[in-house]
Amino acid sequence: MLAFGIVLVALVLIWEGYKLLGAATGGTWPFTDIEMRPRPGNNSMPHVWDVVASLFAPARRGGEPLILTLAIATLYTLREALVGFLVGALVGFSIGVFFVRSLAAERSLMPWVVASQTIPIIAIAPMVVIWGRRLDVPGWLAVAIIAAYLTFFPVAINTVRGLRSPEATATELFHSYAASSWQRLWKLQVPSALPYIFTALKISAAASVVGAIVGELPAGFADGLGRALLQFNQVFSADPAKLYAAVLMSAIGGLVFVGAVTLVEHLSLPARMREAAA
Amino acid sequence: MDFIVDMQGLSKTFAGRSSTVHALQDISLQIEPGEFVSLIGPSGCGKSTLLRLIGDLLPPSGGGLSVNGKEAHQARIDGDYGIAFQKATLLEWRTVRRNIELPLELAGVPEAERRSRANDLLQMVGLTEFSDHHPWQLSGGMQQRVAIARALGQRPPLLLMDEPFGALDEMTRESMQNELMGIWRETGTTVVFVTHSIPEAVFLSTRVIVMSARPGRITHQIAIDLPQPRDLAVRESPRFFELLTDVREALRGRTGTR
Repeated sequence: MLAFGIVLVALVLIWEGYKLLGAATGGTWPFTDIEMRPRPGNNSMPHVWDVVASLFAPARRGGEPLILTLAIATLYTLREALVGFLVGALVGFSIGVFFVRSLAAERSLMPWVVASQTIPIIAIAPMVVIWGRRLDVPGWLAVAIIAAYLTFFPVAINTVRGLRSPEATATELFHSYAASSWQRLWKLQVPSALPYIFTALKISAAASVVGAIVGELPAGFADGLGRALLQFNQVFSADPAKLYAAVLMSAIGGLVFVGAVTLVEHLSLPARMREAAA
Repeated sequence: MDFIVDMQGLSKTFAGRSSTVHALQDISLQIEPGEFVSLIGPSGCGKSTLLRLIGDLLPPSGGGLSVNGKEAHQARIDGDYGIAFQKATLLEWRTVRRNIELPLELAGVPEAERRSRANDLLQMVGLTEFSDHHPWQLSGGMQQRVAIARALGQRPPLLLMDEPFGALDEMTRESMQNELMGIWRETGTTVVFVTHSIPEAVFLSTRVIVMSARPGRITHQIAIDLPQPRDLAVRESPRFFELLTDVREALRGRTGTR
């Protein structure tokens, strides 16, 4: 936590130092006439305190403070991300188990799973939203499905790898006990795979937040972070601090999510196995 | 015929991409209940493969094999043997106690019975105080003791050991050998023990089987007539050294003094 604070202070100092340097030279690198990019002026890089201040100022004249609007939007988006994350993790884990139990399934289906991830999310998202509407699926659920689309892949890949991680003698040992293949799965392979799966879940937790934000755009939600980011993007040149404030909030949302997964990992895995996974 | 292991003309070949490897050829060996038999030979002589055939972890390519009076497959299903490898292969998310209980758990033994059996085994290998430790908190020798206790869980009539002390230092190794002797006498189980240490084979065994490589064959069988129980005095007796020489000569392909 202390280390995090030190880095935070350092980043603020670098940001403000860069701005100070720009102010002193008039926007060029010292002793040259090369322009500094990004421009250190307040239009591209508002002061840190301006960003923080904008969080506590009303978003509209006489309205609630921006931080409240953003917090509600973040919670809304995190709910979609959470549902998508859980669905994606379950699907990814099941695919992993299926592939490890059937080499034929892995050979024939793995290329499709990989191909699915090369399609940009912005191409998939509108389709899912439109199909969802036709099938009367609630909008937030369609967005959750988009988040799940980003979540399942790392979990599937790492589950496959983790389930194959027990050493040969451990497998022989279970064979010598005449253990059934389900006993071997639950008592040897899944526990061995947990460090791998948790690594994937942390990647997926962050990805599911991105998926939910991107998914909200074609859905046209007014309630989520996606809309807020889009809206503040449009007023960036006039009021850059607001966009930075929204970016800050979505980053905090992602951090909380990944932090929650890390907490579950700490509670369920002995320290020794966590180190092995890193 | 009540041999616990009976092999008749057993062979094992591994089909490679370009060539076939004859890992074992025409192995005939009978082991009586209560024996302690060591398999010794150069690397590649197939001694570990032979152990895996007995345990039905590999299928033989030809010949006959019965274990505890049954087909090897049935003997494995019935839990007629316990096995220990060079690596202790403990499950690191389980405590020592729960590692020992694993085979009992898989066989569906009720919890109360599992616990009391684990208590007995923990006491037998002297690890009662460490029952709640995790494997990584134990030394190599202690981990191997857990592995042996685990292998004895279902009181198997046969114990298969694949270089179980191969990774231990010399001091630990000798004390583990003494302990194994104690366990062997106490349980009366038959042991088939793979090693490439001549003193280890001679000290532990009632019979040493000498093998040669490519193809793996049995070349000599040497009865070890050292007195029981084996202790330090045995290790330092002239007969012990004579037998070491016999095994060494046999490994070199010469006929021993016997």
